[in-house]
Amino acid sequence: MLTIWLGVSSGAILALVAIGLNIVYVASGTLNFAQPEFLVVGMFMSYMTVSGLGWPPVAAIPVGFAAGALVGAVEERIAIRPLRAGAHGELVTTLGWAVIMSGAVMLIWGPNPRTLHGFGAGTSVDVFGGRVAVNEFVIVVVAVVVALAVSTWLRTTIAGLANLATAEDREAATLRGINVRLLSTIAFALAGGLLGALGPVVGPQTYAIFDLGAKLVLPAFVVLAVGGYGSNAGVLVGALAVGLTQAASTRYLGANYASLSLFALLMVVLLLRPRGLFGTRSERVV
Amino acid sequence: MTMLGSSLRTAERLPLWAVPLGLGVLLMFAPYLGMDPSWTRQFMIIAIYALVVSGINLSFGYAGELSLGQVAIYAASAYTAGALAIRGYDLSVELIAGVAIAALLGFASGVPGVRLAGWGLAMSSFFLVIMVPDAVNLFRHYTGGYSGLAGIPPATLFGAPLSPNGYYTVVIGVMVAWLAVMRNIVRSRHGGALQVLRQSPVLAASLGINVQRTKMTAYVLGAVPAGLAGTLFTHVDMYLAPESFTFQLAIAFIAASVLGGSASVYGAFFGAFLLQVGPMQAAGFAQYALVVFGAFLVLGGVLLRGGIAGLAHRGIAFARARLIEPEPPRRQAAADADIGPIEGRALELTGVVKEFGGVKAVAGVSLTAAPGQVTGLIGGNGSGKTTILNIVSGFYRADHGVVGLGGRPIGGRAPHQVARRGVARTFQTPMIPGSLSTLDVLATARYARDYTGLPSTVLRLPRYRRRLALDREKSLDLLRMLGIEHLRNVPADSLPLGSRRMVELARALVAEPAVLLLDEPASGLDEGEVADLGRLVRRVADLGATVLLVEHNFGLICDVSDTVHVLEFGRLIASGTPAEIQRNPDVVRSYLGEDAGGASGDARAALQMGEHNV
Repeated sequence: MLTIWLGVSSGAILALVAIGLNIVYVASGTLNFAQPEFLVVGMFMSYMTVSGLGWPPVAAIPVGFAAGALVGAVEERIAIRPLRAGAHGELVTTLGWAVIMSGAVMLIWGPNPRTLHGFGAGTSVDVFGGRVAVNEFVIVVVAVVVALAVSTWLRTTIAGLANLATAEDREAATLRGINVRLLSTIAFALAGGLLGALGPVVGPQTYAIFDLGAKLVLPAFVVLAVGGYGSNAGVLVGALAVGLTQAASTRYLGANYASLSLFALLMVVLLLRPRGLFGTRSERVV
Repeated sequence: MTMLGSSLRTAERLPLWAVPLGLGVLLMFAPYLGMDPSWTRQFMIIAIYALVVSGINLSFGYAGELSLGQVAIYAASAYTAGALAIRGYDLSVELIAGVAIAALLGFASGVPGVRLAGWGLAMSSFFLVIMVPDAVNLFRHYTGGYSGLAGIPPATLFGAPLSPNGYYTVVIGVMVAWLAVMRNIVRSRHGGALQVLRQSPVLAASLGINVQRTKMTAYVLGAVPAGLAGTLFTHVDMYLAPESFTFQLAIAFIAASVLGGSASVYGAFFGAFLLQVGPMQAAGFAQYALVVFGAFLVLGGVLLRGGIAGLAHRGIAFARARLIEPEPPRRQAAADADIGPIEGRALELTGVVKEFGGVKAVAGVSLTAAPGQVTGLIGGNGSGKTTILNIVSGFYRADHGVVGLGGRPIGGRAPHQVARRGVARTFQTPMIPGSLSTLDVLATARYARDYTGLPSTVLRLPRYRRRLALDREKSLDLLRMLGIEHLRNVPADSLPLGSRRMVELARALVAEPAVLLLDEPASGLDEGEVADLGRLVRRVADLGATVLLVEHNFGLICDVSDTVHVLEFGRLIASGTPAEIQRNPDVVRSYLGEDAGGASGDARAALQMGEHNV
């Protein structure tokens, strides 16, 4: 039971990162390697406002959003827009941006982990005979709500539909009068802002530390690979699968097998269903 | 200017490769020539990193495969060599074992790569890197686990213990030898094939290149230097620990590759040099190292396309173009240049049907394209023209019906097999790999037809040299015939659209195909270019080739075709001579009668021009 809950709660954090990846992927076709770094930035923003300035934890959310959105928009302008399409330049530049962000965080706040407060941190309740930290519970609820909200937003608003159209065919979307470039900037800002805002919520669970992003990024990619790129319902399923795989392999096989099991999961999914469980994208050959 | 030109021409005749080789040999013996001993370790690490980076360059830079797990391979070889060294084995044995392990892992990491592309592959290869510490701990009996593998003795080579300086010479020597091998691979049709693969697997297959085999070759070749590097690293500090093989190092290697120029040979050394001597050394710099690496990656990815080596190449190419190449007169009369007769074979489609999710893109098409004739295929957007070409090329498998070439069925064969049976094609949007000269582009089309193995390529054996001369001769003949001989040494992807279409046509013809498939070759061309193209297409057919011409341009089709077929919604609605087609009421109604058809053609042309300008 504890193992399952551990899987669910760690999966929820990955789900949030994966939703950020999805927002950017749908609008710009880029998988932003730097995405989890925005969560880290949000955490340190929270550390600064809550522990530094003494503001209430809720106040850290807009601060984190503003910081994340700003950095996201800047990333798109500097590291994405100048690239030629189709050359896989984004892998290198977003990787670079991730390294810059994590390096900058280390420069500003140092290499040591910081403890964050708020959002149920430090309190726990008994559920089905096991003790569950309230903060973990908050994260899981937030992950589900955010996934549903983003998914609904994509399907029901004009901006969301424009986004989906762009994901389908950039050129056609451009011809229909959709400002594809602006959409891309907005998506980077939105995804950055979302994760920045979530930093204060997730931070009490993970501690704020500069290299957290590098630890989250690969499992978050696995979540997308399992669930299907671009699918937010898939993210929840993928996150559950990844979280449970990690928790179960650690519990029953040992910590050495956690990455190995995740890798095995990734391989199985990629080889059997290369588009993930909920992915439907396919491309014209010539 | 002329003097400089002539002296450069003289320099051109000197073997350019001798410069890096000479410098490399000099570096090998630098400690004996008075190099400060503090630099020995430094240069050994640089050489080892350069090896790993050059592996990334081969698989990522040249072949375009986002397989970035070299650090894992590097680690595996290092631990293999360490375990062997402790048990008293010779360095030669360690190197062989290290390379064998590396090649095996390279092959294994390529297996998902055959199915995956892009990000899936990048992820799975990154996973290999983060699993290194776990793997080391799992095999702790051999590897020493987290606490490290100590007690590795100094290397012995062929039974003789190596002095520190002797080991330095071996390390640099291995790097020099590998870079020479790599240089000979990439400056050959094998290198061209890798670059075609990077540009587009579809293009590669259409040139007869076996995509999966070439990918596997790239993985294994990319792993070999990592194996050499791992083995050599073992004896540098005589101690191995998982901390030497981190994800951060993997990122630093990619940064070095990008900075030095991923599609380059010697760029690996410069990248590794900057990696080792740049950020790592300055005191108090460690805390800025991450930010600087990241900036390298972003800037390298955005600004320095081709890295340091790219800048050098562009400089050389510029000097060449300005000073060395005498500009031949543009558009020589193409009529007096000719290639030999072409042995065409009949292409027969019988009752071909192709559905996409219930929509019949091709609904029972039968047609024959005869040798020595131009067979035109015309129809509106979505009428199934390109689908038919893709079925013939083997990119799609027909649901029903038979595709025959010279009386033999070719349906159901893989695209590269179809290409090897003599079917060549061009694409709606020309697909030309970046940074290859026109002659090199043409050589890639002869790769499969006239295969030369890796060993004779690496050693530049007579067999390889004969093929090279033949490639050049055939290519120049063709370029002369198409009137683009003056473009032979220019980077073909930077040419204007009309010239790129000509290069594509030349590439299709240089493999001496029996059947030539042309997919809207006139779109985006101006009137004069279309007329030139028409004459050339006619000439090619007159030489004996079977030409299947898919076009929107009704004028061009009527000018050059012997037979015209008109497609509508996947069916042939008319077939006959151009004169008959022009009189056919159905055709007039559905294709010519509506201005919309012409307008959409113009719109497409405009779109393609626009795309070219971007």
